[in-house]
Amino acid sequence: MANRQQFKYEWLGLLRDRWVLILSLLLLLVCIYAAYNGKEKVAERNQPIAKAMDEMKASDEQYKALIDSVAQGLKTNLPAWQNPQRLNVIGQRAARVAAFESQPLALVSTGQSDLFTHLVKPRLYGEALTLGFSELSNPVQLLFGNFDLAFVCIYLLPLLILAFSYNVLSAEKESGALRLTLAQPIQVTQWLLNKLLLRFVVLAVIVVIAFNVSLMTTGLNVVSEFSPVMKITLALLAYMLFWFGLSFWVNLRGQSSGSNAVVLVSLWVLIVLLIPAMISQLANNLYPVPSRVGMISELRYAEAEAQKNANQILESYYRDHPELAPTDTSAQKLYPFWLSYFASQDEIRKAVNPILSEYESQLHKQQQTVDQLRFLSPAVLLQNIFNESAGTSSRHYNSYRQQVVVFAGEWKNYFLPRMFRNELMKKEWMDELPHFSFDANKIEKQYTADVLALLLYGFAGFVLSFLLYRNYVTEKVLLT
Amino acid sequence: MVLKIASKEMKEVLRDGRFRVLSALCLVLLLVAVFSGKRYYEHVNAQHRDAAEKERLNWVSQDAKNPHSAAHYGTHAFKPKYPMSLIDQGVDKYTGVSIYLEAHVRNEAQFMAAQDQTALSRFGDLTPDFILLFLLPLLIILVGFNAITREKENGTLRLLQSMGISPLNLALGKWLGIFIPVAALLAFIFLLAAWLLNNLSDFGTFSLSALLILFSVYLLYYAVFSNLVLIVSAWAKKSSIAFVILLSAWIVACLGMPKLTTNLANTLYPYPTQQEFMEAVNEDKKKGLDGHDPWNDAAKKLEQEVLAEHGVDSVHKLPFNFDGYLMQKGEEHEAEIFFKHYEHLKEIYEKQSSLYKNAAILSPFLPARFLSMALCRTDYHSHWHFSDEAEKYRLHMMNALNMDFADNSTYGDWSYKSNPELWAKIEPFDYNPPTYASVLAFNAGNFTVLIFWFLISGVVLVYRCKKLKV
Repeated sequence: MANRQQFKYEWLGLLRDRWVLILSLLLLLVCIYAAYNGKEKVAERNQPIAKAMDEMKASDEQYKALIDSVAQGLKTNLPAWQNPQRLNVIGQRAARVAAFESQPLALVSTGQSDLFTHLVKPRLYGEALTLGFSELSNPVQLLFGNFDLAFVCIYLLPLLILAFSYNVLSAEKESGALRLTLAQPIQVTQWLLNKLLLRFVVLAVIVVIAFNVSLMTTGLNVVSEFSPVMKITLALLAYMLFWFGLSFWVNLRGQSSGSNAVVLVSLWVLIVLLIPAMISQLANNLYPVPSRVGMISELRYAEAEAQKNANQILESYYRDHPELAPTDTSAQKLYPFWLSYFASQDEIRKAVNPILSEYESQLHKQQQTVDQLRFLSPAVLLQNIFNESAGTSSRHYNSYRQQVVVFAGEWKNYFLPRMFRNELMKKEWMDELPHFSFDANKIEKQYTADVLALLLYGFAGFVLSFLLYRNYVTEKVLLT
Repeated sequence: MVLKIASKEMKEVLRDGRFRVLSALCLVLLLVAVFSGKRYYEHVNAQHRDAAEKERLNWVSQDAKNPHSAAHYGTHAFKPKYPMSLIDQGVDKYTGVSIYLEAHVRNEAQFMAAQDQTALSRFGDLTPDFILLFLLPLLIILVGFNAITREKENGTLRLLQSMGISPLNLALGKWLGIFIPVAALLAFIFLLAAWLLNNLSDFGTFSLSALLILFSVYLLYYAVFSNLVLIVSAWAKKSSIAFVILLSAWIVACLGMPKLTTNLANTLYPYPTQQEFMEAVNEDKKKGLDGHDPWNDAAKKLEQEVLAEHGVDSVHKLPFNFDGYLMQKGEEHEAEIFFKHYEHLKEIYEKQSSLYKNAAILSPFLPARFLSMALCRTDYHSHWHFSDEAEKYRLHMMNALNMDFADNSTYGDWSYKSNPELWAKIEPFDYNPPTYASVLAFNAGNFTVLIFWFLISGVVLVYRCKKLKV
């Protein structure tokens, strides 16, 4: 009964508090702005991909027509080395676009997407492992980061919660109303819990509305993306619960409003700024990223050595791949230069690959270890959830790179055997060329572990405070 | 009287649990950050020295081969680190560590550290600049937000005024009381940094005056925050209101504005994507001279000109190998194309920079941020300088290789191999960063804005204090 009464009056109090309205509106506006920024970023990412795809389709049609003309013996204005019947010409010039298109929720978090390019064209003559995945960018922008929904939720939302809750108990104490309240047969912890729970529910509703409305303003269909949106929402609620738990504890300490504010802001700095930076520093010191500079030296040495032996390569290549050696030796060879070129490339690759894969596996191990450290901070956990849902996490980009390397292999394997068999490009082959599509299912999902950990953080604050202050001597501490 | 107030204020600050805990925390973090920064610097520098030596060895120990093959093998220019980077890492994490110098192409720096790190690193690292730029202003706010509101709330302002103290002296005393402890903390850290830098083995590249200028940049930055804190504290009626306003101001200045400006810069002056950039370059290349293709129009034209100049009728009769000459001319032409496109990129970057400078009107954080990394040689401008110098070296190297080919072989002789002595004759890349004078000149705008912030906030503070009433 007493609880119900309390909820009712608290609710009325909140309704009349104009700060609740102002802050909610502010949150909504900030969310809409952040979502708009996210949408711009996504458009920046997808436009070049769409353009490249269109160009590829157009050029495919051109090549089909050209192959047809050349096959019929018609004259084209192409120089001989661009003869489209030559497989090497198609493999090099009609390269496929290997694109990493944005996932539906990419706009919620820029994540690592500003560091990488989302479109490469592995070509026949090139080396997949040395393909560049960097994007041209002003590093100052990378340093400052973007104003996206992830930033709003990780950094700003906690401050809103603190503003809503820092003086819940102390204000009553300072106005003298606490004495009256506690004259009722009610436990102070229970009473405070009720107050905070109500605020949690009200704010949760506001946040969920603001978050979803801002997504809808970008044109995202929240219904068809129900499951990922729900996943983020659940994580947000858990994160909010954590901050309310923290506020619960600070309130129970029974200090003045001013002191509560200072303590809570210090905790905010600690949790969203310092601890993540400390973890990051710790990771760099304990598990340093293997040296790229060292890798370059090794790579260059191996490359130089391999080039020295490049002369007798073709013979040894046939020794390793007797199945590829041409059977009809009387026919004129179509691709003598290219075959020896690929053979020498292969020699270099053999020398260089162990170094690269050794580096990659070291890096993978390092990142996995560092990944575990995210459990030390709710802010890092939430960031990981945002990036995973947006498809902009480090794991997504690692996987994209690996998938492109695999695809580049498929591309080569399509052309090489045909070149060894002395064949010419056919028009109908243009449609059966291997093509790339990014497979997001290959990425390890961390959501469940992350959200459970966040919920644990959320409840831990309340449970610990409850246990700590169960036998709170209200008269002594709160009323003095 | 001012000194008395200042010493009373400082005493209070020093006795205050908040300041003790927070400043101790900042100090510990700074110590950790400075020492791990030093370790990191030495580690990276050793790596780079080692890699540069090995790369040079790779270059000079090439066999006898066609100079143009050597040009394709190329070499790497490793970006050096400078001693003061242990204070401010700047954008180093987001620029590559080395530039591959090869024939025909100007490459971007490769391997930015942030790409090899997980998204965790986007929260920032615990480096001295992080603490100096973000946390110490917050410390000033936490220490000073109630400096004057407290006197109002306790009724002691009336007592103070009855003693005949002028509001200005009161404000100055309070100001010193807040500023001196933080300045002392800063001075201690900079002394430590100076001592560490002095003991580095490559002390030669470190300049004490640059460190002093950096010190004064931070002092100015903290003076601005001290002004702001007192303005709000003098204006607000209640401590809690002063606190909320100052905290919001801090969030806007240090977190909000940099991000907002970044988004704005990206919308107004976007960089081309890597693909667009290279397509534009290739488009220009197609139109021009191709050193590998003696049949394209530009090459034919060049041939006619050279023949006419030497008064002969065939390239065979030229006193040098026309293939090599053509290769060099092609290289120069490509270099011009790259120069043009990089200049365009630079224009965009400069527009973005001026946007950040304008945004500094709303955030004293921005000019301090840019000045700090400029003085530590870890800003984007330093990176541009390195990249431009590496390009100059690349062209010098290509010239030496192509001209060796042109001067020592005959037309059509692609089997020519130059003497391995040639590799050693091309001296290694020796990079010298821009002088501090030019760094300062380039950042004059940021200095001006920061000084403006100090002066204007100072004037407002004086005005506010004069109106201080009980």
